[in-house]
Amino acid sequence: MILGPESLEAITILALEFGQLQMEAGASARHVDEMTTQVAVGLGAERVDLRVDYESLAITVGVGPDAVTRICRLGPFSVNETLHRALSDAAARIGQGGFNLTEARAELTHLRQSSPRHPDWFVAVAVGVACAAFGRLLGVDWAGVAPILIASAVGQMVRRQLALHHVNVFISATAVAFLGSTLCGLGARWAGSQTLATDIIAPVLLIVPGVPAFNAEYDILEGHPTIGGSRAIWVVVIVVFMTVGVWLAQGLLGVRR
Amino acid sequence: MDLSRLVQNAVCGGLAAAGFGVLFNVSFRGLTWCAASGALALALRTVALDGGWSMELASFVAALAVGAAVQLVPSRFPVSRNALHVVGCVPMIPGAFAAKAILGLFAISSQHPATNETFIAALDNALRVTLTTGALGAGVAIPSLLLRAQNDSR
Repeated sequence: MILGPESLEAITILALEFGQLQMEAGASARHVDEMTTQVAVGLGAERVDLRVDYESLAITVGVGPDAVTRICRLGPFSVNETLHRALSDAAARIGQGGFNLTEARAELTHLRQSSPRHPDWFVAVAVGVACAAFGRLLGVDWAGVAPILIASAVGQMVRRQLALHHVNVFISATAVAFLGSTLCGLGARWAGSQTLATDIIAPVLLIVPGVPAFNAEYDILEGHPTIGGSRAIWVVVIVVFMTVGVWLAQGLLGVRR
Repeated sequence: MDLSRLVQNAVCGGLAAAGFGVLFNVSFRGLTWCAASGALALALRTVALDGGWSMELASFVAALAVGAAVQLVPSRFPVSRNALHVVGCVPMIPGAFAAKAILGLFAISSQHPATNETFIAALDNALRVTLTTGALGAGVAIPSLLLRAQNDSR
């Protein structure tokens, strides 16, 4: 296939956008690398080199002696399995050939606009149930379960609103942990729970960044220590800020460990 | 072995995994499989802990089993393999120990002089978090890394 400079540039930008969305949806560096390669090669590229950083992606796409390099800044990371899955499927189809640049661009635009999300109230209830189950695994008594469920559901709703208002993610972690722990502590004390010290930790477990923690380890194991190390540091800092919220709630409620 | 504890932990693991599946925007069809993954992980870890194994080793074996089971899932499944094993192992992430470890460090800084008990408890929790998280990541990653190495060598 013979590609002009404009086509090569368009392929590079499209592959980069696929990679950017995948990173922001919570993919590991290897997945992003594989998917951008599928897209670029499926559209006619011969060589693809990707550099995955915490803040940016850089890609070089080449055909014969020509090559184009582009870089883009990454937005805030989240975890969106439905979008991740849809992007992976689309990249696989493009990688098998049969798509031209216009069709591939239309596919990406469609995915950007049509990826469904669960309603916020449903996510809040699900997070409440998950944290209450976590609480039981940690050994809280039955009196502590309902306060954990309610406090973590409220915490999730507040966390979502803070994210929509672009509040710094670390400040948000402290605020949500403080709110969740305080609400849970007051409720558990009223309900007569005998496991108050553990009760107030359970509602903040929604903040523990499980997927980034796993991705950090995968990235390091799979030969991407730069992004893996950055993710690991981010995870540690989030946990520290989260714990500050619990610590403040402990002080307010007078709970001793 | 305490059967009621095993059932309770499996159910709680399943609920936690499904709840986090919703948070991670897994489709409705995939949530049952997330719950199954979490239930399997917690059931295995409970059996191992009841057998006298350490938390770190029990978590590693449970994560390894989930990582291997997930490799059997067909590619046209309602949820990706990656999401399935991560969601299954999320209930085993020692977030509460991490919080306790950091709270312990705060306590050390506020005591003059710090007692050995406070220091040892904080260190114990910190070590447990580090080793368990490492064990979970390695357990989940090993099956997929081995499978990829096998595919690459063909």
